[in-house]
Amino acid sequence: MALHYLQMKNSNVLQAEIILCLLIFVSCAWATEHMEPVHDSQPASTFFAPVEGGNGAGDDTLKDEEWEDEWEDSDTIADPLEPINRFFFHFNDKLYYWVLKPVATVYAGFLPDDLQIAIRNFFDNLRTPARAVNSLLQGNVRDSSTEVARFVLNSTVGIIGLGDFAKDIFDLRSSSEDLGQTLAFYGAGGGFYINWPFLGPSNFRDSLGMFGDSYMHPIILLGADDRVIIGAWTLDRVNYTALTLGDYELFTSTALDPYSAVKDAYQQHRKGLIENK
Amino acid sequence: MEKNILQLKSLIVVLLLTLSVVTLGARDSASAKDGPMDQLQGSVDEILKILQAKKQKTPEETAQCKQLVLNVVNDMFDFREMAKSSLGKNWNDLSSEEQDKFVGLFTSLIEQRYIGKIDSYDNQKVVYKKQRIKDNKAIIYTDIIDKNLEIPIDYKLKEKQGKWLIYDLKIENVSLIANYRRDFDSIIRKEKFAGLMEKITKLIEKPETKN
Repeated sequence: MALHYLQMKNSNVLQAEIILCLLIFVSCAWATEHMEPVHDSQPASTFFAPVEGGNGAGDDTLKDEEWEDEWEDSDTIADPLEPINRFFFHFNDKLYYWVLKPVATVYAGFLPDDLQIAIRNFFDNLRTPARAVNSLLQGNVRDSSTEVARFVLNSTVGIIGLGDFAKDIFDLRSSSEDLGQTLAFYGAGGGFYINWPFLGPSNFRDSLGMFGDSYMHPIILLGADDRVIIGAWTLDRVNYTALTLGDYELFTSTALDPYSAVKDAYQQHRKGLIENK
Repeated sequence: MEKNILQLKSLIVVLLLTLSVVTLGARDSASAKDGPMDQLQGSVDEILKILQAKKQKTPEETAQCKQLVLNVVNDMFDFREMAKSSLGKNWNDLSSEEQDKFVGLFTSLIEQRYIGKIDSYDNQKVVYKKQRIKDNKAIIYTDIIDKNLEIPIDYKLKEKQGKWLIYDLKIENVSLIANYRRDFDSIIRKEKFAGLMEKITKLIEKPETKN
């Protein structure tokens, strides 16, 4: 009976616990081994050779490559799905102006900024397990243990993640890693561009990443109902929009071809994240 | 005896170390005096002061505030350089008249993108993280703290007659110039330079943004 119960109902919770325990164990082991004097930059990424970057913080001289062909990196992202992508770009654009923005405007009128920030923190905290796993997969034990510490601190003292206690008090900063970046770390290219309905700009690799990361999201790990998942996602989205009202409009209204501008911005943004700039 | 020598040695090492630290520190503060970061910080502080002084949200005051900010902005950016690099090799195909006209339109476009945020100014803070200098070029890494979130903004500057002017900026790793370069290039390829000019003119004539 007990076994049955475990298998059926709690297998997801069990999974989550095992992953978390493993994670904590591995990161602790590594942390104690590798973390002694390392204080600034140059993390324990000697594990797997780092992908360039990671230059010392106080470095005042510049590497030449940063100046060379400053805007010439024309590895244009392939876009075989352009007609469909453009269709969904317009779909998302209309969705923004007709639904998301009006809702977010009303929402922002009701909820004070501090509460919106707390809600953003809450959702961000739920993405911590995925970040911790991906930091670890990229051999960055330091970042990974930081994420674990953040998750533990913010979920408890930070009250289910509403406050970013770990950053405010201990200056533990999030690493913003995800599976797409991990795949890139091991040499995967971006593949073609995909503009998803609702989800927005992505590419083949990052879409796979998004899918994989979702399995490390507590809501999905805990096997929540579909309606709960969609509800949570919507609240997250509305809350985020409320906090950044005006940014999307400004960017797209000062681009000649907003679709291409967003596509390029996505590519540049991801490239920066992958190189950990 | 042996011990004395060791002591002497360590004393010298310590002395040398302190000396180098002192000189390094002195050099740092000297070069930083009117370095790119100080100049940038000065200008940004000026803009923040203007924005903080603005109390009411009357249209006249907003317009006046925008003009004041624009005056500062015009002194910070090298718009000609930016316009030129946003066109890439297409720039050389233009007559100097066309170039001037393009610089004018491009300037308005950039102003529109960055001045548009003024209305929503709400005590955001700027943190200057570090600067890196090579010859007459510099990168300054900053964070703008908006609603408790750090948004990285990197400025690229070039020195011209003692003044450091911005020629590109990256917001969350997205370079403004690289982004416009793609944008412009695809238009020029399809509709030539005339088509580009027409499109930009249309954009900046549009009443502000659809806020």
